Amino acid sequence: MFDRRQMLQTTGSGFGFLAFSALAHQAAAREAANPLAPKPPHFPAKAKRVIFLCMEGGPSHVDMFDHKPKLSSDDGKSYAGARGRVFGGKLLGSPWTFKKHGKSGIPMSELFPELARHADDLTMLNACYTDIPNHPQAFLQMHCGLFQFPRPSLGSWILYGLGTSNENLPGFVTISPPNNNGGPANYGSNFLPAIYQGTKIGGGGFGAYGGGGSGSVSNIKNPRQSTRDQRQQLDFMQELNKNSLQQTGHNPAVEGLIESYELAFRMQAELPKALDVSGETRKTLELYGIGSGGAAAGGRFGNAGGGPGGRRGGPDTFGRQCLMARRLIESGVRFVEVTRGGWDQHRNLKDDLAGNCESIDKPIAGLLADLKQRGLLKDTLVIWGGEFGRTPYAQGTDGRDHNSKGYTMWMAGGGTKAGFVHGKTDDYGHEAVEGKVHVHDWHATVLHLLGLDHEKLTYRHAGRDFRLTDVKGNVVKEIVA
Amino acid sequence: MRSPRLFSLLLLAVLLCLPFGVAQEPRKRNPFVQPPFGRRPAEKKAEPAAEAKDFANKPTAEQVRFFEAKIRPVLVEQCYKCHATDSEKIRANLTLDTRQGIRSGGDTGPTIVPGHPQKSLLIDVMTTKESERMMPPKQRLSDEVIADFKKWVEMGAPDPRDGVARVVVKNDIDIEKGKQFWSFQHPSKTKITISDAKGKSEVDRILADARVAKGLTTVAPADPVALIRRLYVDLIGLPATAEQVEAFVRNPTPEAYANVVDELLASPHFGERWGRHWLDVARYAESTGKAVNFNYPHAWRYRDYVIAAYNADKPFDLFVKEQLAGDLLTAKDDRDREENIVATGFLAIGSKNINERNRLQFELDLVDEQIDVFSQAFLGITAACARCHDHKFDPIPTKDYYALAGIFRSTETCYGTIRAVQGQHPSPLMTLPDSGIEDGLKPLSKSEVERLEKQLADLRQELRDLQRKSIQDSFLSVNGVRLRIQTATIEGRLSQYEKDGTPKRLAMGTRERFRTFNSPVYGRGEPDKPGEVVSRGFLQVMTDRQPTIRRGSGRMELANWVASPDNPLTARVYVNRMWLHLFGRGLVNTPDNFGTTGSAPSSQMLLDHLALRFMNDGWSTKKLIKELVSTEAYQLATTYEPKNFERDPENSLLWRMTPERLDAEVIRDALLAVAGNLNRSPAKGSPVHANGEGYAIPRGRPALFGGPPPEDTHRSVYLPIVRDNVPESLTLFDAADPNLIVGNRVNTTVPAQALFLMNNPFVIKQSDLVASKLITNFGSDSQRIREAYRMVYGRNPTNAEVETSEAFVAKYSARHTRRETWTAFAQALFGSAEFLMRN
Repeated sequence: MFDRRQMLQTTGSGFGFLAFSALAHQAAAREAANPLAPKPPHFPAKAKRVIFLCMEGGPSHVDMFDHKPKLSSDDGKSYAGARGRVFGGKLLGSPWTFKKHGKSGIPMSELFPELARHADDLTMLNACYTDIPNHPQAFLQMHCGLFQFPRPSLGSWILYGLGTSNENLPGFVTISPPNNNGGPANYGSNFLPAIYQGTKIGGGGFGAYGGGGSGSVSNIKNPRQSTRDQRQQLDFMQELNKNSLQQTGHNPAVEGLIESYELAFRMQAELPKALDVSGETRKTLELYGIGSGGAAAGGRFGNAGGGPGGRRGGPDTFGRQCLMARRLIESGVRFVEVTRGGWDQHRNLKDDLAGNCESIDKPIAGLLADLKQRGLLKDTLVIWGGEFGRTPYAQGTDGRDHNSKGYTMWMAGGGTKAGFVHGKTDDYGHEAVEGKVHVHDWHATVLHLLGLDHEKLTYRHAGRDFRLTDVKGNVVKEIVA
Repeated sequence: MRSPRLFSLLLLAVLLCLPFGVAQEPRKRNPFVQPPFGRRPAEKKAEPAAEAKDFANKPTAEQVRFFEAKIRPVLVEQCYKCHATDSEKIRANLTLDTRQGIRSGGDTGPTIVPGHPQKSLLIDVMTTKESERMMPPKQRLSDEVIADFKKWVEMGAPDPRDGVARVVVKNDIDIEKGKQFWSFQHPSKTKITISDAKGKSEVDRILADARVAKGLTTVAPADPVALIRRLYVDLIGLPATAEQVEAFVRNPTPEAYANVVDELLASPHFGERWGRHWLDVARYAESTGKAVNFNYPHAWRYRDYVIAAYNADKPFDLFVKEQLAGDLLTAKDDRDREENIVATGFLAIGSKNINERNRLQFELDLVDEQIDVFSQAFLGITAACARCHDHKFDPIPTKDYYALAGIFRSTETCYGTIRAVQGQHPSPLMTLPDSGIEDGLKPLSKSEVERLEKQLADLRQELRDLQRKSIQDSFLSVNGVRLRIQTATIEGRLSQYEKDGTPKRLAMGTRERFRTFNSPVYGRGEPDKPGEVVSRGFLQVMTDRQPTIRRGSGRMELANWVASPDNPLTARVYVNRMWLHLFGRGLVNTPDNFGTTGSAPSSQMLLDHLALRFMNDGWSTKKLIKELVSTEAYQLATTYEPKNFERDPENSLLWRMTPERLDAEVIRDALLAVAGNLNRSPAKGSPVHANGEGYAIPRGRPALFGGPPPEDTHRSVYLPIVRDNVPESLTLFDAADPNLIVGNRVNTTVPAQALFLMNNPFVIKQSDLVASKLITNFGSDSQRIREAYRMVYGRNPTNAEVETSEAFVAKYSARHTRRETWTAFAQALFGSAEFLMRN
């Protein structure tokens, strides 16, 4: 927790300005108005924070979580429901076998030997659906509710609704987000104040005119000064600022500036620390699959799914990212998103999907186990999913097309039912038929689990109140424990 | 409400309902919509005869039992929360708690057709598989209950319930009532009373009266140093040099001040500063943004047009006409014609969902974006709200929206882009006459053209080979996608040039379509729900006479209507924008929203006075600015004064000047200027132009697009503005997000800005340049300190400041080289409040 006393102590003796009695009450008032200060939820709820494992590209639910025996038995038959695309159209049974796991008997394919051990921790949403079977629109919609208009993203809304408990770290962190499919809009705050936008770590850093791009957090490290040098420089600068303040009298802008430097200075130390997994025990690293290949493919912060090279990278990269996610939420970050791209298997389904799953299986299982052993799973909502699923019919002989009509996402912890399956697709896994969950419903449910009423979490902009769920959204109460 | 007869009927209806009072007010309402009628006995008369007969069929006792046992409990339990006369908020205007209500239905028509379950909406929504239509919304009713309802409808839906449904009146907006709202009324001279006070400007006199009423007193005038620095930053966006400050401080008379004002207004940098303000509102950008981001290589021409317009003090009414209908104006010569065409880029540079598959949807979205920007930028009205339903708060019916949509749908918008992977809607561009304006694009040499053509031919061949092998691979394989992207990129590049390598002179803009037509109203804005067709026209609430559009789209008529002195909003909205940029806050604090949800003016008299004055002065921006910066109010100090602050914390009546952080562009430009590293000449074209058509944000292989551009030291207004990829030095400091219409930027102070100032190589480089000057040109530490203060703050340091500075230099240089020390010193000055704030 950020604490005034602590802050005064840690910021050094040359910097006691906040103790000036004349400023003390204003500072207190400002803290009350601090937009990132923790806020109570609308109603009591179990989940306090979120880790969203975002699978960009449309993971094939029928090969992973949505077991369809009829699809296997009808393999190779032509399918009337296949349309829109020119190729293939024959039903394609999953090349992988499914088994029921745990007491709950949740089916999973052999692609997830490790995750299968956690079947009893998961709530499967087997009947998700979205509006458009097209990456850019669907990816944006998954993050911002709408794709037609720019809107704030899920993480921004949650940060706006709940604030954050560690002011020395950003409240919303997104690890290796993609540049395309809406790019920064997927973690942008749009009309919400800028303070609520996601802080990008690594990712497709290349932008022709963008800043940062160095594969880390923008401007987090001075290229030449040591911390001690910088503290000296900062003390001098704050003295200049203090003089300005004395001349103009009460001036929130200058006071805010003074504080922002101190926060930034501490963030420089805290954020790399929170991201540094080198101090973790060998056991923990192994738990996440770190050190078992793939490091070279994506690099430490690299976007593992960015190119073909990242597809079979092994669990190292994603493992590190999952571990970073744990470290971040442990340090008080409200919302952490980790993007793993490369799920767009129009072709090479057998090889690529297997490689993909291998690279996330151990890390996710490790993350769940780790959260559990630290007592964090009960109030951390872990979400897994992509912008849509894939068709039961084939493209060519070894690929599947986009499917917005039915797909699987899952959640764990944070007050969701453990070992529970909600919703159902048709016999082939093509279309959601029961317990359907639209993106708006999914958003409403995530907010609900955090104690936020999606109809009340509003922000006034351009003359009216806006919501993440626009005018829609129903909470999927069935999955709330 | 186009017909007077309909209107009088409605008026009658209003009168009728008065004696019966008004039922409970729903929570939030459009004040221009008729209140719901009370329960009135007259209602039954209005029922069609057939309905009345139905009502007369009394249900049998058995039927009543069935209803009471099986139907009513379910309705009460599952439906009444949203669909009963006393629901807090009645959804879809549907009530189910009376026989009449359940039969007549709501927005989507009658709920039941007695005897026909299959035709009954009620049964349909209970059984549908589409969860967004399903009722009740959260949980499907059991099969048993649904069977009961089917049976009940089959029986003829016997219903013993009496009572009259609360008639939910359709959102019929009362335009005449709407016209009473302050902003739709013309500003009137007769309502302005200005007290006498010698030597004070009219603006100051109006403000003085308003302050007295609130018990506010002004603080002292700003000291000459602060004042002149303020003026430079506000008018040209560049810091005054120490010499410029000193020249004024030696002779701080009103005449000298006026001279500086004139000088700055005449500076070419004026347009770069004030043009940028307009570009914020015009959501200027050089790419489509949204899900897939394509370049607009020619958008920069509009940027330059705006800058030139401000420098030339183009009358604002003409500025409006050119942007809305420049292509339809008569031009004096080629240069004039070019300007007119480029101006219409205003309508073309909006964000576009270029990956949209449905053509009509794409068109309607494009037109919607145009209506949004045109109505907010010029009129301060959020007309786009009326796309899907009558405006919830302002007197703008959906019909008015589609009247405007007809005008824009009869217009062809030329924005370019290429057909490519995910690029679905390329459009032509406007060809410009050769007027001699430079565009910075070098001709391609013959060999360059040949090389590109060869490359293109090879790629096409490779793609054809791949297609022959496998059509599927040509679309789906990594290689196929790569080939398509590369092909499109080179095509995009070549499309910029004539066959001989001469750059084509192209622009974004609008022109008339061959055929004009009126648009239907689309139900809920959805393209598959076309309804009644409405004639092209304007917003009724702001006009007494609809235009006669004889030929063409009606854009010219629209432009004339907006730019007319009879339009109650145009001048007000614009002078408010100008006021805001000088005083930090608009007289109307919601500059893009003058509707009922906007804020009321802090002084309507002042706003109207300025609007009338502005139109009288030939819509001159420079005259207006001169008038404003010459006021006493503008020249006040920023001193904090607790009593005033308590009464008017927002400083809406200007008891002082509001201190604010500098705009993003000013910070960057000032860093460059102080370091002697600013390229003061206008940029020619844009790096986006040089990149040509294609993906704005690289997909797949970055190498295709070259690396980031070399360091650009032009003024920030010339930096490439790619949507969702605006330079960090700008976005961090709250530059306008070009996805939005930004009349009023936010002014945040966040740690990310501090990190930028502490660690970004750009900032360090400028600091280093300052250090190098200090070391080369001055021999002693105290001289260097003095000079650094003069360079960064435009003033000499005090003795105390020299001491503090010397202490830092001594301490820091103990462990660092001279160069490092002075760089750190300069950077500290750059990071300080005095540099970053406008006082």
